[in-house]
Parts: sequence; C-alpha cells; structure tokens
Amino acid sequence: MADGGTPPGADGTGPDPVGPAPAVRPFLVTAGRVAPSASDRTMPVETQVVATAEGLAELDGLAFEQHDIVAACRRPQSIAEIAARLRLHLNVVRILAEDLRAAGQLTVHVPDTGATHDASVLRKLIEGLRAIPDSRGVLRDTD
Amino acid sequence: MTPTEPATRPGGPQAAAVRPPLPVKMVVAGGFGVGKTTAVGSISEIEPLTTEAAITEVAAGVDDLSHTPRKTTTTVAMDFGCITIDPTLKLYLFGTPGQERFGFMWDDIVEGAVGGLVIVDTRRLDDCYAAVDYFEHRQIPFAVAVNAFDGKVEHSLDEVRWALDVNDRVPVLVFDARERGSVRDALLVVLEQALARSEA
Repeated sequence: MADGGTPPGADGTGPDPVGPAPAVRPFLVTAGRVAPSASDRTMPVETQVVATAEGLAELDGLAFEQHDIVAACRRPQSIAEIAARLRLHLNVVRILAEDLRAAGQLTVHVPDTGATHDASVLRKLIEGLRAIPDSRGVLRDTD
Repeated sequence: MTPTEPATRPGGPQAAAVRPPLPVKMVVAGGFGVGKTTAVGSISEIEPLTTEAAITEVAAGVDDLSHTPRKTTTTVAMDFGCITIDPTLKLYLFGTPGQERFGFMWDDIVEGAVGGLVIVDTRRLDDCYAAVDYFEHRQIPFAVAVNAFDGKVEHSLDEVRWALDVNDRVPVLVFDARERGSVRDALLVVLEQALARSEA
C-alpha cells in the first residue's frame, strides 16, 4: 500500500497498541488519506453501516482493518461504534467504510436529517424514552 | 453528499441483509468532570464506548512526496451510548468535550443532532459557556441541566439562568446524572423542545 502520506514519526511496524490508537499510525491503512474522496460531506458519527452478503462471502479475502470492519457489521453498527470497538480513528473508519461501500462489501446509510427531525420520529422517541423505567423501576408519569 | 444506499435494490447482489435503524443523535455537552459520561452511562443500553475523535488538519498536497504535509492532530476522547427504541429507531447520545478549544470538533459530532443537553456544575459555571453559545448559534434545541452533586446545588436555577444569560425559552433544570430516571427526564425536556420546533 502506498505510504506517501505517512506522517513523520509513524511506526507501522510496532506492536499493536494496547490502549487507544495512537494519533498518526492509523492513517497508514488509508494510504494517508484523511477524508473520503467521494463525498462532499463527512459521514455523521451515527451513520449506520451493514455488511452485504457479498462482503461477508469475501471476508476471508479481506485484510486487517477491512476484514474487521466487515465482520463487525454483520449487524448494523454506527461508525462511532466501529471506531470504538476496533480502536480505530473515526476518520479511518469513515474512509475505509467508503472504500468498502464502493467495493460492494458494505452498505452505508447516512441518516437523512429531514427524517430524524420529523415530528413523528420525535414523538416516537419521546414515547420510547418515557417507557424507560427509572432506577427504582417506576414508570414516569406520562400525564 | 456521501452516497447513500437506496432503500431497496431489488435482487441486487449488494442488497443489505439487515435494514439498519434510523439513528437519531443527541449531544451531551459540558466541561470536564461535569457528569457527561455518567449521564450517558446511566441510560445507555451499552456501557459507554469511547472513541478518539481526532481531527487532523492537513495542508493541501498530501500526495506530493516532495513536501511533508503540515499536519496538526488533536485527539479528543468522545464517550457515547445508545438506546434502542424499536428495530427501526435508535437514539445515540454523544458526550462531547465542552471546552472552547474543542469547538472545532463539534461540527463533526453535532451535525444532524436533534438536540443537546448542556450539563452544568454550578461551582464551575464558566465551563459550559462555550457549549451554550454553540447551541444558541447553531439554533439547536437544548436544555441546561444542573448536575446536583451529592444532591446539592450551590446556586438557584434563577441564578444559573441569569449567569448563563440564556433565552427564556431554554429550559434550565436540576438533575442527577447518576439516576436513570433523572437523565431520561432531562432528555425528554430536550426532545419536547425539538418537537415543538419541528411543529412550529
């Protein structure tokens, strides 16, 4: 993989990080790209990503982060969850998700702001939240 | 615009096996140690996750091998959780660092959010000014929630409202970030604001 964008001091050969990913090394897997090229707008952190049947069938042929992302997306995940669970940079996940989408291995569902701000959706959220019992198991009075 | 998969692609090999829920995002903002992660953890169905929401600003010419691109990278931990409302709808709660110097990353996190909860510690009111300003400027529905540490609040809500100089329509309330019911009610206040705006 081309490493023209390797930041100074990046160490691609070191041991796997134990803690949160270091700030520079993850962008090796994106060939130094720091933003998806095919989009004008950044994928919101809650964007849902799902593996396609094709992606899962090709899983064995995928390497490293690409493999892990497709495997993690057997069930829908937000890109924030993928980043947290795989200890990848959010922006790395954005770039790789876009690559995997282009390759047909993932579907990427960018939430439509019109839909999330729709009154019927908000009402459903309010109803759903009201149904959550507090710590003592008492339902909130829905007046 | 990031390409979005069509809702259905009949018979296509790339059709998703599972239809994901509509993700709705709320933001929990406030200074360090004010109770953002506690609040998210009190109501989230998963243990709060942390991701490094790093911002890398790169000068043009990344592919130009003759020049080392000038990069500034700031890494900020962002905690979040979620609540599945039903198979079609999921609420995400993102806790964002509230300090002014992180303002640049809010756009990345807040983009598309239906509302925000600004958590306040009355002993350190100025920690939340940046968040209040941000939500006001972006016209995002929000409420100010005073976290009652040990059940005590050092200033009355009127004093807090006066000090923050928020619009009368912005709810200011007391809550306990450790209590699920209390966090739920605070989020409901924000959602009611959002609903009122969408119906306006």
